Amino acid sequence: MSVKVQIQKKFGSAKRQHFDLDVRFSTPSGVTVLFGPSGCGKTTVLQCIAGLVAPDSGWIAIGEEFFYDSARNLDHPTQFRRVGYVFQDLALFPHMSVASNVGFGIRVNGMEKRRMVGNALERFRIGRLAHHRPAEISGGERQRVALARALVTHPRLLLLDEPFSALDDELKQGIIADLKEWLKDNVVPVLFVTHDREEARTLGERVLLLKDGRIAGEGAVEEAIQPWKVSA
Amino acid sequence: MNWQALALTARLASLVSLILMLVGVPIALWVAYSQRRWKFFAESVVALPIVLPPTVLGFYVLVALGSDTSFGRWFQQVTGRPLAFTFTGLVIASVLFSLPFAVHPMVAGFRSVDSKLLAAARTLGAGKFKVYSQIVLPLSWPSLLTGLVLSFAHTVGEFGVVLMVGGNISGITRTLSIDIYDQVEALNYHSANVTALMLLIFSYLLLCLVYGLNQKLVLWGTR
Repeated sequence: MSVKVQIQKKFGSAKRQHFDLDVRFSTPSGVTVLFGPSGCGKTTVLQCIAGLVAPDSGWIAIGEEFFYDSARNLDHPTQFRRVGYVFQDLALFPHMSVASNVGFGIRVNGMEKRRMVGNALERFRIGRLAHHRPAEISGGERQRVALARALVTHPRLLLLDEPFSALDDELKQGIIADLKEWLKDNVVPVLFVTHDREEARTLGERVLLLKDGRIAGEGAVEEAIQPWKVSA
Repeated sequence: MNWQALALTARLASLVSLILMLVGVPIALWVAYSQRRWKFFAESVVALPIVLPPTVLGFYVLVALGSDTSFGRWFQQVTGRPLAFTFTGLVIASVLFSLPFAVHPMVAGFRSVDSKLLAAARTLGAGKFKVYSQIVLPLSWPSLLTGLVLSFAHTVGEFGVVLMVGGNISGITRTLSIDIYDQVEALNYHSANVTALMLLIFSYLLLCLVYGLNQKLVLWGTR
């Protein structure tokens, strides 16, 4: 299933950006890295896809289903898009246990919900933390909770907004390995925002280079990341 | 000490606080999260009792509850008794008068909830009701409690509105603040002092509770 995006958005004077967002790209299943310097519009692209921010015009589709199409006045609310989103600061619910965080998006109740939560916790090696609050666990463990929470609902698209930026290399590699393992069993398109080349190389399969709100180039990770031999 | 007035005041304040919790939460959620441009008109209406002289509000409520209005006539037809100078009329007037004292702390609490948490909940498929009931309300409980305490304390201390809408009927509309006024009018300073001192200590303790809760809210936000 592919993600197709063609959106435009003016940032306005409040954002102090000297450019407007105007991106067009199409990516297949697998991990696509949205790479670029801070403030180039990477997060806004993810927010538009998730429905958290409305573009001014354009369209967004996963497979044949359109989430947003300004020409048809179509704009599916975020909660109906089934898009998994892992935020940079994770946004775990501080008043809920790890298990409740992971189970928040599951629509079934009772035994089935407990089974799904249990499986997700085991899969990301956080089963022993089920009853802890986010404030009581480490940064790496919180990262695993955020991933499990986003993936347990089997989203049609996974958006990762620099979720590993606060972790040391060892932790990062372990979590990325678990995520890759999950992606082997669950083939979904992943858009992974980062400005860390090593992260991009470890997890990504292809790269979209974003600069000043526009796609400045794209390519396979190995040929594109170092040095930047992106096809403009 | 007028125990009848104390019991009446406690009943009035409890009922008003409870109603304000039920009415105030949806209003506060709307004020906190609505994107409507004309929202400030509604916000101003909610805040009006803060700046309006109690006699002005009391006068208009008295007129609105009277048998000259369709609402007053309708109520009298349904219940067989008028609203003005009754305990029910007093409750309605007090709810209107204390509305901003319940709503404003709630709005502040709801706005202080990290918007990323709301966004995360929405990406996980939560609609407005689930976002509000499972994320916003649990995370802003100190503000809810502050709204509850302030509206209770404000209702206990009401004077002008109570006098205008309820008059001074023993056992029906004579609250503690009216009773103090009565005692002073009768030059019974000792009795007035006992009641006034009790209200002073009560109000101070409630404010300590409010500021203590606010401190807890700040600490909660930094965790």
